Amino acid sequence: MEFVVEMLNIRKEFPGVVANDDITLQLRKGEIHALLGENGAGKSTLMSILFGMYQPDRGTIKVRGEQVKIANPNVANKLGIGMVHQHFKLVSNFTVTENIILGNELKRGLALNIKGAARRIEELSKRYGLNVDPYAKIEDISVGMQQRVEILKMLYRDAEVLILDEPSAVLTPQEIDELIKIMKGLVAEGKSVIVITHKLKEIKAAADRCTVIRRGKTIGTVDVATTSELQMAEMMVGRSVTFKVEKKPSQPGDVILKLEGLTVNNNKNVPGLKDFNLEVRAGEIVGIAGVEGNGQSELVEAITGLRKSEAGRIILNGQEITSHSIRNRINNGVAHIPEDRQKRGLVLDYTLEENMILQVYKREPFSKRGILNKGAIRKYASGILESFDVRSGRGPVSVSRSLSGGNQQKAIIGREIELDPSLLIAVQPTRGLDVGSIEYIHKRLIGHRDRGKAVLLISLELDEVINVSDRIAVVNNGELIGIVNAAETNENEIGLMMAGVGKGGDQ
Amino acid sequence: MRNFIISLSAVVFGLIGGAILMAVTGHDPMEGYRFLFQGGLKNISRFGDTLATGTPLIFTGLSVAFAFRTGLFNIGAAGQMLFGGFCASIIGLKLDASGAVLIPLMIIAAILGGAVWAFIPGLLKARFNVHEVVSTIMMNWIAYWTIYYAVPAYLKAESVETESRALPDKATLKAAWLSDMFGGSYVNMGLFLAVIVVIIIAFIINKTTLGYELKAVGFNRHSAEYAGIGVNRSIILSMLISGALAGLAGLAQYAGNGNNIQIGVLATQGYDGIAVALLGANSPIGVLVSALFFGLLYSGRGFMNAMTDIPPEIADSIIAIIIYFAATSVLMNRVITWFLGRRRANAGSAVSGKGKV
Amino acid sequence: MKKTLGTIAMCLLAVTLVAGCGSKNSNNAGNNAGTNAGTNEPAKASFKAGMVTDSGTIDDKSFNQGTWEGLEQATKDLGVESKYLKPSGTTEADYLKEIGNLYDAGYKMIVVPGFKFETAIYAAQDKYKDAKFVLIDGSPHTADDPTAKVGTNTVSIFFAEHQSGFIAGVATALQLKEGEAGFIGGMEIPPVQKYNWGFQQGVKYANENLGTKVTIKPENVVYQGSFDNVAAGGQLAAAMYDRGVKVIFAAAGGVGVGAINEAKTRAGAGKEVWIVGVDGDQFKDGVYKDDKSIILTSAMKKVNAASFDMVKAEQEGKFPGGQTLTFDIKNDGVGIPTTNPNLSDDTVSKVNEIVGKLKSGEIDVKAEKGDLIK
Repeated sequence: MEFVVEMLNIRKEFPGVVANDDITLQLRKGEIHALLGENGAGKSTLMSILFGMYQPDRGTIKVRGEQVKIANPNVANKLGIGMVHQHFKLVSNFTVTENIILGNELKRGLALNIKGAARRIEELSKRYGLNVDPYAKIEDISVGMQQRVEILKMLYRDAEVLILDEPSAVLTPQEIDELIKIMKGLVAEGKSVIVITHKLKEIKAAADRCTVIRRGKTIGTVDVATTSELQMAEMMVGRSVTFKVEKKPSQPGDVILKLEGLTVNNNKNVPGLKDFNLEVRAGEIVGIAGVEGNGQSELVEAITGLRKSEAGRIILNGQEITSHSIRNRINNGVAHIPEDRQKRGLVLDYTLEENMILQVYKREPFSKRGILNKGAIRKYASGILESFDVRSGRGPVSVSRSLSGGNQQKAIIGREIELDPSLLIAVQPTRGLDVGSIEYIHKRLIGHRDRGKAVLLISLELDEVINVSDRIAVVNNGELIGIVNAAETNENEIGLMMAGVGKGGDQ
Repeated sequence: MRNFIISLSAVVFGLIGGAILMAVTGHDPMEGYRFLFQGGLKNISRFGDTLATGTPLIFTGLSVAFAFRTGLFNIGAAGQMLFGGFCASIIGLKLDASGAVLIPLMIIAAILGGAVWAFIPGLLKARFNVHEVVSTIMMNWIAYWTIYYAVPAYLKAESVETESRALPDKATLKAAWLSDMFGGSYVNMGLFLAVIVVIIIAFIINKTTLGYELKAVGFNRHSAEYAGIGVNRSIILSMLISGALAGLAGLAQYAGNGNNIQIGVLATQGYDGIAVALLGANSPIGVLVSALFFGLLYSGRGFMNAMTDIPPEIADSIIAIIIYFAATSVLMNRVITWFLGRRRANAGSAVSGKGKV
Repeated sequence: MKKTLGTIAMCLLAVTLVAGCGSKNSNNAGNNAGTNAGTNEPAKASFKAGMVTDSGTIDDKSFNQGTWEGLEQATKDLGVESKYLKPSGTTEADYLKEIGNLYDAGYKMIVVPGFKFETAIYAAQDKYKDAKFVLIDGSPHTADDPTAKVGTNTVSIFFAEHQSGFIAGVATALQLKEGEAGFIGGMEIPPVQKYNWGFQQGVKYANENLGTKVTIKPENVVYQGSFDNVAAGGQLAAAMYDRGVKVIFAAAGGVGVGAINEAKTRAGAGKEVWIVGVDGDQFKDGVYKDDKSIILTSAMKKVNAASFDMVKAEQEGKFPGGQTLTFDIKNDGVGIPTTNPNLSDDTVSKVNEIVGKLKSGEIDVKAEKGDLIK
């Protein structure tokens, strides 16, 4: 069997961390090869080495059988290796064509030959079934489409090997299906694909083989067809795992949060949430199900105070908080695990311990008369980091930016739960995390419920909503379609409601 | 440690760059530098002058650094300094009181004047998201022309058209004993004020909830907002403090190093403050030291001119090169990263080479 | 804390550098220290004359340049060592520091241009008793007390700018016969004002006695407010030309440079516009094509002559310490250039007549505003 790319015994060390320790990955021509591992296992580092962004400390890389040194991404491009990053590198007010040819402009004399480039892009798009309009502006197209533009960019540069870094993290379920189709189309045309992921379902659906790494070491390479999801999960985590969420039936108590006729404008200044009514009780988890952009952000931001509501009332523990300040709401028992952990959840340039007191720095013992008490802060932060198993290079004094995404998320969740809020709002709490972390976070959310607190869970992953919630409120186009008991429903029913069809019995 | 290496290498590169310029223009770099540093340090009086030259730079550097730390780019220190100095001068000239009353009032006036001048850009930024770089520059010119009008109209000296009256000695930061101690240098109490302020600012930035809030807003206003920190309030507060520091620079310049205020001049210390802040890695103590280093350069330059045949324009370029390198310490950062990376890579390949043998 | 250490170490390094160099080179310290060393015999070369510049550059077409040209002349003709220093700011302390640097480097004769040095020289003349000072366009005094105190080691020099402006005004009116004239000044300070007033009197004199019809409207007499805003000078000149002004007297340093540039652009496009230069002969600055210049003539004050004369006097032991000298038309310290390619022979001969009348006192030019514009 011919290998198109071989990475043999790769080792890469960063100050204080061995990111890759003797990793071997061999990519066959025309296969989809999954690279599976927990957050921080070293997947991204390995691929960055292949793409020329880091130099390995040890080990060899062979492309089509020949040993190569990939000094920078340009060399990688020349070798036919292309990478689609998790965060797209597109200029949002440029068209698709302009973005694709950026840095690789086709010229006629001194002038750009945009038309010629667009024609070629259209051909490629047709051939691989990408369905991209070369003249659309990036800011006008969906995230899934933007991802395809990134893929097109690689194809335009004649990449033979495509590396996709967590491609499904930003996609809706339908878009994920599309993506899998596209990947299969690519290998059918003779390309080879490496896909970095920790979503076992997708590996099962798309990949031919799978290399599992754990803590910087290769655990093994398996044929996907003959390996079960559970086996792969256990290889990845290093212990046995369960996919089922264990929980007792809920015992709802008093109403903690009550929304009455809440209307909230979205960024375009038209109502994004319309006349919304909901109750969340102590000791229950209420999940919000819906396709992205159907009022979830407006709902959360209105409750937390990040966005003002146009009409209606928000009542917390019997007290109206509709026009209270953000800090006031926090002090009254609202905690918020934000959707975007890097934009909102953490001050990335602060240390972990500084981030752990983001809402409580003004309280004693963390400060007294405006002066911070570093000792108390250190103690408090260490406690959270330890109990939530946040792994970092230097403990509480690690700069938050240096942590892997999963550990950042665990730190945020730890911080919010440590506030012991009467209402915990968790938005996409497990987005982009690995099986082990997901399991852990679900356990924590349920534990919070079991302590008699209310939890509002907003997630785009239907599995998660159904497994973790006690009741599920389904939203569509900013309106509440209906509320169902999690134990009595299934994906089909909720899927229909998400599409705007009311609950069978109600209409 | 890293910042130390960065600042140090910035200065070393700057000195090398200056030396190359001297060599290229046919002058002896060693001799040039000898007189440059002698000019600032040769005797106690010159050393005093170096300290005095550095004093306003400590304030402006601190002003810029404080704004930087809180995510704002205040390049209006010159205007804030001018207006702060102007307010202090009004008190000093119009109020008949003893020095013990005048000086504290002048300090307050300088703080308020500078703060008011920075408040406007802060408000515009907070309310309308007007970029502070644009609005602070505009405020510089508003200050320039306000002083241009106001000084001749209200504070004009008897016999000089373009300057205010001289402040009486009791209304300046000059202290005879200090001047005598430094052999007649014009070093003044502004230096001590600056050191005190450095300590206060370091304390605010590192030890207080206020500093914590302001830095959080500076690093990431979205997460600050999420945590319930008043983002707009913090922006305005940061600008107020930054402006107040620049206002004190005005006091140090116009009622310390000088004793009157001139029209038609925007003090260069305002912009130099940016370079001082960068070289000092935006830390208060770093600013203190780098401001004094700048003071040394400015102070020694004239002596270098006088003792060598390096023309003033070349001397200016040499100083500019040193400042340039100092200010581009980000570049140094890259160079160092690259260098360390290479060394590690070499070490790595050496190891693997051995393995094969 | 580490940052701190860093910066401290950095400065230590700087100090080490000084010490190191110091020990190496200390033997030949004074030897290399000269500029503009004269070509004459070394005995005279020991005489050193220095200058501290005002806020502008050395090629400001004005005070700095004029003063320095005088010193260069002295280097060439008298073998004097000369050097100029640029202060880092404009405060009295900045000026005094550079004066001190010159003094420490052995320059015992120091020439400074401009009224801004008045208070600095007041202090310096007492501090450096064995040095000689020449203050051009000002007299030493304190900021609060206008009473001049010219020390025995100082000469204070003034110019009769109003006479210079008068002659330029007469020449302008005679050459153009009719049309509108304007004035752009720098800061509204006595030397500039005197130019303005003299110019207006000159135009008026020509209109009343020599049959010309040149008018000056109040809106065309402006002080820009600085000496260095080139762009503003261009804009002011453009506005005036647009209002129909034919000639502008620009007594404004760098602001005047802007006006000259604007005039050059317009003349290049075939319009008839003129500038009257100031301080020195600005003919060359106004050349826009071949040897055609938009400089009609220049109202000069011979700063270079003043600085040269003083150096020469000192070298000959005749330094007029303690005196206040006025350079005026009587000693040819002011006037227009001897060659004026843009003035007709007729104009020149008539102007020379007027100069004669000024010298004899037949015509008196006022150095104050009176009922003139601004």
